[in-house]
Amino acid sequence: MKFERNTLLALGLIALAFPLLVGNQYLLHIGIMVLLYAMLATSLNLIVGYVGEFSLGHTAFLGLGAYSAALLSLRLGLPAWATIPLAGVISALFGVLIGAITLRLRGPYFVIITLAFAEVLRLIANNWVDFTNGPMGLSGVAQPALLADASPLMAKRFYFYLALALTAVSLYLAYRFVYSNNGRAAVTVRENRFVAQSVGIRPFVYAMRAFVLGAFLAGLAGGFYAHYITFVGANVFGFAFMVSMIIMVLIGGKGTLIGPLLGALLVTLLTEYLRELQELRLSLFGLIVMAVVLFLPNGLMGFLNQRRERNHSDQADDSATGVQGGPA
Amino acid sequence: MDMLLQFIANGLVSGAFYALSALGLTLIFGLMRVVNFAHGELYMLGGVMGWLATTVLGLNFFAGLALTLAVMGACGWLVDRFLIERVRDQGEEPSILLTIGLSIFLTNTALLLVGTAPLTIEGPLPNKPVFLGPVVLTELRVFAVAACAVLILAAHLVIRHTRLGRAMRATFQDPMAARLAGINTARVYASTFALGTMLAASAGMLLGSIYSTHVSAGGLVSLKAFVVVILGGMGSFAGAIVGGLLLGLAEALWGGYISTGTVDIIGFIIVILTLIFKPYGLFSTQVERA
Repeated sequence: MKFERNTLLALGLIALAFPLLVGNQYLLHIGIMVLLYAMLATSLNLIVGYVGEFSLGHTAFLGLGAYSAALLSLRLGLPAWATIPLAGVISALFGVLIGAITLRLRGPYFVIITLAFAEVLRLIANNWVDFTNGPMGLSGVAQPALLADASPLMAKRFYFYLALALTAVSLYLAYRFVYSNNGRAAVTVRENRFVAQSVGIRPFVYAMRAFVLGAFLAGLAGGFYAHYITFVGANVFGFAFMVSMIIMVLIGGKGTLIGPLLGALLVTLLTEYLRELQELRLSLFGLIVMAVVLFLPNGLMGFLNQRRERNHSDQADDSATGVQGGPA
Repeated sequence: MDMLLQFIANGLVSGAFYALSALGLTLIFGLMRVVNFAHGELYMLGGVMGWLATTVLGLNFFAGLALTLAVMGACGWLVDRFLIERVRDQGEEPSILLTIGLSIFLTNTALLLVGTAPLTIEGPLPNKPVFLGPVVLTELRVFAVAACAVLILAAHLVIRHTRLGRAMRATFQDPMAARLAGINTARVYASTFALGTMLAASAGMLLGSIYSTHVSAGGLVSLKAFVVVILGGMGSFAGAIVGGLLLGLAEALWGGYISTGTVDIIGFIIVILTLIFKPYGLFSTQVERA
């Protein structure tokens, strides 16, 4: 807990200094994408890592957030500081609705029903031309008024700090959730549903809270995405985003707060680095996913934690033998 | 009214393919409990193999089909022995991730190798229209549906009347008891996966001869196969067939009377409703709910 908190604070400080040290728009853009994915991976991790159910439909909330922010901004002319939180709230409301249906199911059924919801939303976004502009998507989402006459570099810096603020909010909420009774109850359910029920934890209630919080955070990220990219199309509901999020949570280590951040950083950088390889990149991604499942089932953080625990127990053994050895 | 009959006929034709590919998945997902998200990619590979065999190697359709079945069966066997075997008995999650990784790998590698262009497989019969009263079909479609029926029957006979089929049924009832009785369960799992793969691949090749096959078609096929398996009931042969035909009909009618753009939505609505109201599916053989 302490380790996690301190690492998060240190990472936050590094991120705060980053735009001041870097004057390159491209690097700042990558930084912003890392933060966006950090938000998304954190929100997915609440469901995958803490509820212990595997959602393949998390893009539903990203997409709902992005479309809400874009529509509120384009149709009602609301400014970004209103649309992004509203995007989160709308997404959370849908989270209540979708969670109430999907969380009754478990295992493969949960996976498939969440995926079905995301696909239904994608098809609606693609076909309801009057409302969502169909396959053409919504373009020209307003940038914050503040940026009217800022230079492109300043605009990037502004977006970086906005993304950092939103990521900080996401992590704070996730941290408070995970280290509250809610989070501990959710972990109990994940580890052993029947024991949890026998001590009076109602699995559905806690799963629902984590699910709605995850939906809210993904909605925030979606709202930010809409304003940053200024274009929203049905691809926000697509499987490509889902796959990126899964890989990040998985490589970083599910059920830890730092893991998804690490995953977001690694995967985003790797994607950029491998950009020259074009399609081969995606083949490699497939291989990486398989390798991680087979050889690193708990992700990088799981691996590190295991190492740490082993070191601790080794030291404990050493001191124990030392005490025994003394009088002999 | 004439249109209605035509829609029903078209629906039953595509339903036959849904049934064939879902049958493969009902073995893998329903019985082996491997949530195989790469099923559609195996189907797609069947189409690509069929195209390679008929167009590039110049074999005739039946030889091409036999070659495709042999190669894809071997692929399925290897996938099970080298990938699925390692995460067996670890719950669903690792197998989900593993097969998602596999599907990403297969789609993009195939994309690299054969490109995005649609591949057409030369069918064994000309595309001549057949008039059945007010309904128009092509000879090729009638043939393909018959081929689906033959393959489904063959799979049924394998499972019901061979030594391997008996070993399969024993293993899925109680793997421990099956091992104690001297059944090599690892081999049974691999054979089942291979059989499921062959069914998917044959559906891919047959459908590729009617329309055309497309490297990125896999994702949607996987999802529809899951829809059919859940609608029909896990591990149920009859369920996969009835579910496939129902999905085909529902899509044809929706496309005919409501809108063609949203045809794919019907499957997802069906799966959501099934899981809410009838989680056992229509014909589940196991007393088990979602």
